[in-house]
Amino acid sequence: MNVSLGFSQLKDPILATNEAIGQAIIGLKNAPATLAFIFTSIEFAHPLVLRVANNLLGEIPILGCSSLGIMTNQGVFKHGFAILLLSLSQQTFFNVAAVKDINKKTPLLSGKELGDKLLFGFKNVPRSLSIILSDKLITEGTPLINGLQESLGNSFPLIGASPSDNFGNHKTYQYLNQEMLSESCSGILFGGKFNFGFGIKHGWKPLGKMRCVTSSSGNVIKEINGLAAVKLYEDYFAKNTPDLAKELRRISIYYPLGIYLPGEKEYLLRNIISIKDDGSLVTQGDIPQNSKIRLMISTQDSRLAAVVAACEEAKRSLKAQKIKFLLVFDSAARFSILRKQNDIELCVIKELFGENTPLIGIYTNGEQAPLKSINYLGRTYFHNQSINILAIGEQ
Amino acid sequence: MNPFVYLGVCLVFAILGISLLYKVQRLKELGDKVTALNFSLEEMDEQAKLIMRTDMELNKAQEELDKKISGLDTLQKLSREISTTLEEKQIFKKINNQYVEELGFEKSLAFLWKTLEREFHLYLCLGYSQDESLKIKAAINANKDYFLDLIKTGSTASSEFIPEGALSKNKINQLFLVRSFIICPVLAQEGDQGFIFVGTQNVETSITKGDQEFISILANQIGQTLDNARLFEKTWRSQQELEIKVEERTRQLTVALEEVKKISRRKSDFISSVSHEIRTPLTSIKGYAAILLANKLGTLPDEIRSRLEKINRHSDELVHMVNDLLDISRIESGKVEIRKEALSLRTIADKVADLFSEQLKTKNIDFSSNIPDDCQEILADRSQIERVFINLVGNALKFTPQNGKIDINANRANKIIQIDVKDTGFGIPQDAQESIFEEFFRVDNTINQEVKGTGLGLTLVKHIIEAHQGRIWVKSKVGEGSTFSFTLNTTK
Repeated sequence: MNVSLGFSQLKDPILATNEAIGQAIIGLKNAPATLAFIFTSIEFAHPLVLRVANNLLGEIPILGCSSLGIMTNQGVFKHGFAILLLSLSQQTFFNVAAVKDINKKTPLLSGKELGDKLLFGFKNVPRSLSIILSDKLITEGTPLINGLQESLGNSFPLIGASPSDNFGNHKTYQYLNQEMLSESCSGILFGGKFNFGFGIKHGWKPLGKMRCVTSSSGNVIKEINGLAAVKLYEDYFAKNTPDLAKELRRISIYYPLGIYLPGEKEYLLRNIISIKDDGSLVTQGDIPQNSKIRLMISTQDSRLAAVVAACEEAKRSLKAQKIKFLLVFDSAARFSILRKQNDIELCVIKELFGENTPLIGIYTNGEQAPLKSINYLGRTYFHNQSINILAIGEQ
Repeated sequence: MNPFVYLGVCLVFAILGISLLYKVQRLKELGDKVTALNFSLEEMDEQAKLIMRTDMELNKAQEELDKKISGLDTLQKLSREISTTLEEKQIFKKINNQYVEELGFEKSLAFLWKTLEREFHLYLCLGYSQDESLKIKAAINANKDYFLDLIKTGSTASSEFIPEGALSKNKINQLFLVRSFIICPVLAQEGDQGFIFVGTQNVETSITKGDQEFISILANQIGQTLDNARLFEKTWRSQQELEIKVEERTRQLTVALEEVKKISRRKSDFISSVSHEIRTPLTSIKGYAAILLANKLGTLPDEIRSRLEKINRHSDELVHMVNDLLDISRIESGKVEIRKEALSLRTIADKVADLFSEQLKTKNIDFSSNIPDDCQEILADRSQIERVFINLVGNALKFTPQNGKIDINANRANKIIQIDVKDTGFGIPQDAQESIFEEFFRVDNTINQEVKGTGLGLTLVKHIIEAHQGRIWVKSKVGEGSTFSFTLNTTK
């Protein structure tokens, strides 16, 4: 496997595309490019950009998305065009696909449809990993995963992310070949000779009494300990619902809910998206009824320790294999908390994997990855505020 | 019942009772512990609430502090960039996406009100497409009264505080396609005024007082720089006008100078030709006078002789004057070739002293020359420079009364030698000093009334010195004497 990176910050999207792809092609040193991951800032999300990329790359499969920021070995950038160009061996199989207009279908069915599309041509080929990129506006991330798992297998490793925009709640875009999609989910399925390891961590610690979700439905928590769910936040922050609603985004980022998962080292985090009139809390990702939950808190040190832990876990699961490249899905909430120091996590990753390990990443509004404990049988869960490091290696 | 059995049953009951009592006691103790634990848990939960609230306040304060530091840093950089700009349009070009983002926004616009066109003109557009900016410009001009009022009152509008007016927060949000904004007037002392807008679509952004202050500072800075730029332009334009005027005047003066030179050349030519024409008959007059005085045509009566001697003397003066005039004319027209050679200054001084020895003796005038060794050698035309010395020493002798003093001094600076001819004569009045080198100028004093002169000597001296690339000037005080100084080049 040969890997090459290209990145440009030129203001003109077409010139930037040319520059970044030029760098990547040169970096591949005559090896035939077989697959490209393209990540761009929101202003580069344009069909013309993809058409140009497709022409320059000779119509190889392209998978990617827009994001509020891009991470590469060079740094963290709010504006730019990044490409990770791969030359995969013939023993590595892959298939790219997308499911469109998810909001017009149910997320479960959409997930299943994407899974079926990804499986096309994979008969008799051992499957390794699927990576998916779904629209940020799809709030029901859990059923989408469930649908995919119905198709790919409940314990099949699934790593994914919902790319974020620049906090404007506008559209996010998914790229598949030369198509720029929205309200969609695009993905790739790898098989054959393909090795990977991943680590996902957040660094938030529980604080206060454990409580029980006494009534919930999907991603809506109606009651906690028999009281309206919003009461928990009202009590903790001494604010009434309207005041809470005003600061919800900040409170939700700094103090998310954590679901207790027996056997897991960290709680599973849930951001609060909104407060309903009846005091229910709408979260990103499901919270099953009877879940034991606590409010969570973090410090910069605990968050950075989580990055270290995620890197080490990814390394550990790859064992002694040579790491060829890293895909980083880092929560936009973390980006927002770090503010001007937003490259500090990148520095930690580079320190642990080495300065020259090719790295490309985006900022996300929800991450998907399996839980590690045996209790969960390798099922993929929807995470919030986490950093998900996927390391691809070669023996 | 067997008493032993009865006793045994009683004992069992007693043991059970005691055990029950013990268990009840234990349960009560455990219950107390659970209550205490619950109490502790509740207490810890309350503490957790306090920690959360404190942490939130700390995070908020930290965020605000970070924002302020970043804002101040950005403002400082921007101020430095803007304040060095002296062109109106360039001021706005210095504000780029990066600066706006560092201030916490991603969109920015700046408009200036053009009084003549009666509309707002766009000077800065960041974060909008061309179509969007055109639409916004049209909408702003459609609501121009609102924005003009903001400028007039100097009020800042933001999504947190909207001054009373026709536009609501939502309408402004829609107009500028944002969720949060600040609009701040750009007030200049003179010329067009306007406003700067910054905004964001970020739902997380809430405008703080600090944000408003930063944008106000930026708007003030732009206003001041606009004033500076306009003042600079005004000054520059005045300077340009002045330069044009100076150029025009210089051109006129050059033309006039050319005219003067032409006239001067004509004058020199005229003097030259007239002098030549005069010299020929003068020579005849002088010749005939000499023949008559030599009694070659018979002895002359004394009266005729004395008249003839006068004719002869006046003819000499006239010849002298004509020669001077011819020399001046030749030097002016460049017809005289100055043949420079190394000369000994001391030798020249001695020669002049020797020439005037009789007169010096008659008037009992003390003559001295002080010429240091490093001033010995001058580079000059021998005959011309001797005329200079003869003229200057002759003048000094003429205007210095009995028992006076005449000094020739020299000193050197680099390759220039300055020679001073100093006398203790009557001196020259201040108002005459400037004209003394002009042709036919004679100082109005008793000596000049008594002693005849052409008024061409010093003019000739000046021309000779200037032909040697030197300079001549006079310092004098009536009653104390005069010093004529001139410069010549040295050979070394």
